[in-house]
Amino acid sequence: MHRPALEREIQLVGHELAKAFPSRRGHPIRALDERAMDLAARDEELRAALFRFVDVVPACRSAGDLATHLIGFLDEVHDQPPPLSAAMRMACSGAGRAALGAASAASVRHMAHRFIVGSDPRAALPTLARLWHDAIATSVDLLGEATVTAVEADRYAARCAAALDVLAPAYAAMDPHPLLERDSVGVLPRANLSVKVSALTPLLRAEAPARGRDDAAPRLRELLRRADALGAHLHIDMESLDSREAVLELVLELLAEPEFERGPSAGIVLQAYLRDSPETLDRVLDWARATPRPGVALVVRLVKGAYWDHEVVEARSHGWSVPVFEEKAACDRNFETLTERLMQARPAVRVAIASHNLRSVSHAIACNRLQGGSDADVELQVLRGLGDDLGHALATLGLRVRAYCPVGDLVAGMAYLVRRLLENTANESFLHDQATGVPLELLLAPPAT
Amino acid sequence: MTLEPFANEPVLELRRAAQRAKLTAALDELVLPLRVPVWIGEDRRDDEQLVSTDPGEPERVVALAASATPAEAAAAVAAARGAFNAWSATPAADRAAALLRAAAWMRERRRALAALALRECAKPWTDADADVCEAIDFLEFYARGALRLADGAPLLQVPGERNELRYVPRGVCAVIAPWNFPLAIPMGMTAAALATGNTVVLKPAEQAPGCGLMVVEALRAGGVPAGAISLLPGGGDAGAALAAHPDVATIAFTGSAAVGSELLRDAAAVQPGARDLKRVIAEMGGKNCVIVDADADLDDAIPAIVASAFGYAGQKCSAASRVLVSEQIHDVLLERLAGAVACLTVGPAADFASDVPPLIERSAQQRVRSYAAQAAAEGAVVSARQDDVPAAGWYCAAVIAASLPSRSALLRDEIFGPLLCVEAVRDIDEACDLVDALPVALTGALFSRNPRTVAHVASRSPVGNLYVNRATTGAMVGRQPFGGNRLSGTGTKAGGSDYLLQFVQPQVLSENTLRHGLVIS
Ligand SMILES: Cc1cc2nc3c(=O)[nH]c(=O)nc-3n(C[C@H](O)[C@H](O)[C@H](O)COP(=O)(O)OP(=O)(O)OC[C@H]3O[C@@H](n4cnc5c(N)ncnc54)[C@H](O)[C@@H]3O)c2cc1C
Repeated sequence: MHRPALEREIQLVGHELAKAFPSRRGHPIRALDERAMDLAARDEELRAALFRFVDVVPACRSAGDLATHLIGFLDEVHDQPPPLSAAMRMACSGAGRAALGAASAASVRHMAHRFIVGSDPRAALPTLARLWHDAIATSVDLLGEATVTAVEADRYAARCAAALDVLAPAYAAMDPHPLLERDSVGVLPRANLSVKVSALTPLLRAEAPARGRDDAAPRLRELLRRADALGAHLHIDMESLDSREAVLELVLELLAEPEFERGPSAGIVLQAYLRDSPETLDRVLDWARATPRPGVALVVRLVKGAYWDHEVVEARSHGWSVPVFEEKAACDRNFETLTERLMQARPAVRVAIASHNLRSVSHAIACNRLQGGSDADVELQVLRGLGDDLGHALATLGLRVRAYCPVGDLVAGMAYLVRRLLENTANESFLHDQATGVPLELLLAPPAT
Repeated sequence: MTLEPFANEPVLELRRAAQRAKLTAALDELVLPLRVPVWIGEDRRDDEQLVSTDPGEPERVVALAASATPAEAAAAVAAARGAFNAWSATPAADRAAALLRAAAWMRERRRALAALALRECAKPWTDADADVCEAIDFLEFYARGALRLADGAPLLQVPGERNELRYVPRGVCAVIAPWNFPLAIPMGMTAAALATGNTVVLKPAEQAPGCGLMVVEALRAGGVPAGAISLLPGGGDAGAALAAHPDVATIAFTGSAAVGSELLRDAAAVQPGARDLKRVIAEMGGKNCVIVDADADLDDAIPAIVASAFGYAGQKCSAASRVLVSEQIHDVLLERLAGAVACLTVGPAADFASDVPPLIERSAQQRVRSYAAQAAAEGAVVSARQDDVPAAGWYCAAVIAASLPSRSALLRDEIFGPLLCVEAVRDIDEACDLVDALPVALTGALFSRNPRTVAHVASRSPVGNLYVNRATTGAMVGRQPFGGNRLSGTGTKAGGSDYLLQFVQPQVLSENTLRHGLVIS
């Protein structure tokens, strides 16, 4: 590809997108407000205290219990900004504690609702319908506790099946949206569910991937059948590196089974932060070319990866070489390289680009256009609550957008919420840069080499 | 001699298929049985009185060992005494260098050594590999520690005198080792003694003579003189004869409370001809409790409890044996824990997919089975899937017992097998009371997300190693120095900075530097 031309196109797309950002809505991190987020991003100790609090909220049994935890965490912050000292004083009396606990729980709940679209799929339908109306497709993700027993794995699988049963007819009843329903491969299912293999089996073991794979297989097979019968798409999320082998083998083996040759539409995730992600892509593309699925080509969702800190800490604590890039720009560069490779590999695969980074997204759009692809041939994915503005901007420009929408109750949602909050108060995050007013030229600059 | 700062030997990255394949190949290449001699100085006596077998396939002989006689125990001590002057006079840096070469020898053979530990003691791959790494860690860690110790300790100096405090080795050290960390623990005790200039006679566990031989081979290959490290495979009588010898100054022991207390008692009596008051360094059993408060994250707690209680079939001294859980979440925890245990696979150590390997020997299997039967009679055995437990080999189902009466022996005895008791407590203080009521105090864990609870439990806990929001097992050299309090041990911490002090005695030299009113320096 002609680099200068590509770079010009990226800038063009980027500026167009930036203009399309809904201005009155404010930035997602700003919108969270809570001021706490602002404070948290600036002070490591405070950030730790607040996230530990968010994490424990669902396990607290009373307002007093909540306040006790909050104060316990804040105690460990050396440099307490005035609002916090006030909170500490408040906690001296029983009534004060109750009020403080209730107020803090309410604000956590408020925060959670920005990320979680409903306590179950049915409750989420109005939001999903509104998004569809706004030209945004979705992928629903069922939040839940970790799966440690077979019963829990069965229960999660049953919830997934029930979600498909709710989503498929609900989406069928919505108005047509040609942009969201067809690309050059064929029909794009309306109903779309993301599932986690770690929830489909209690037996994921890093050193014995076959075990989790074999245990999850019957449950996933049933879900694939259900999705096929309902004409829905099933996407299998990628988690930490410990489970990659099991997840990849599981999905590729199942989808190669003859009964799934013509459906359902299904997808996997490629994590660009992994140094060996290019080899993983080789493997996926080899598979895709050897396993033609007419009309339902494998969807590859390209992400950077949500477990960066975990991977770094785990590798360091064991003395292993770190499996992820340790330089943000290297990760971003790899993301762009993989984007180009994926797009070239079409139509053996369908491509979904999942990022909130204006540069990464603009690059993908530009790259697709320069390769002669139609805008319909690349899907752009955002997370509900974080990528709302970007999602709307993309939709406004007539691009094909899908929002990843977590569904679940507060207890189940908290781990998810903590991860999203951590990710977006991290210093090396696009959203953080954007929120702190880094100029557009820098936001759109090519990743440094 | 300047060395890189200590760092733990990295365990193998077994999430990579290629790494797993190399281990499996190493197991295939293992040539068995090994012949393990009584090896005193340069003298080897091979024999077959002692046989170690694969706990998963008792037909498979792992090592054929000679069994030391009391006369051989005496000969080994004599050899160690003979070698003492030269070894203790060897500069600390040279001794350290020998230990580091022994570490390198092990590193080169790490897969073969792990395979041997797997065969001889049914250590699953991750545990076997970790055992090799820990043995290497002890060598590296104590080599560095001994170098520091060789500088002595600073004393006050005034004009007219020169004062010096140095640490000198105690003499002959008898190392009596267990089978459950068949390379790491014997190597740790031996390396500590050697690094500080003592000479050693190692009596490995009778279940693990093959691994004991590897410890001695590594050290000799590293350049420790033959007389300074002898190998005395044998049964309890060989160990007793060794420990009782009047020329043994130090006994480093890890094992059961029964044997440990006997050693302590016998060592206290000064025998005719003895020149040392024997010092005993003993690491014994525990009854390790995991406290789970109502605010714990069960998604984290359950896998950690399962790993603590059922990893290596519960045969680590640090293994969890009781769960004391807040009554507010008792039912949920029990249900999820039971479900998690129900899907564990009892199977061969060599299979990466096994969760619970066989126990070390038939008598262990019988002991655990009888405790399980007692649990069934006394309370409610919540989980004990028998159907997939292999018939051959010393396998046991993983068991969870709940609702036991408070007087039950299961809540006190060290079961040393895959059996976990779960009890409801009113609150954290009741849990602390129950822990405090135990005469042993090795490890413990707390699951809570309240910093104040963590501080409170830490202040009330008697255990040697308290873990917060993590498993009770997996202490790392230099990071979690390990050892129990109360009747669990003599309070020393293996893998800690002050461990070596057990193997030395301070000696003070004070010289008058004033001569005819003149300070000569
Ligand atoms: C629709 C959707 C679905 C997703 N599904 C998955 C999934 O299945 N599995 C999954 O793992 N993630 C998934 N993610 C999350 C994704 O991986 C990213 O964590 C998130 O989108 C942030 O990346 P970004 O490009 O938006 O932002 P950016 O700010 O550009 O990038 C942040 C990311 O860069 C990486 N990073 C941070 N610091 C460094 C550093 N020092 N060196 C190198 N790299 C660094 C991390 O991956 C971090 O998340 C999904 C995201 C979306 C939008």
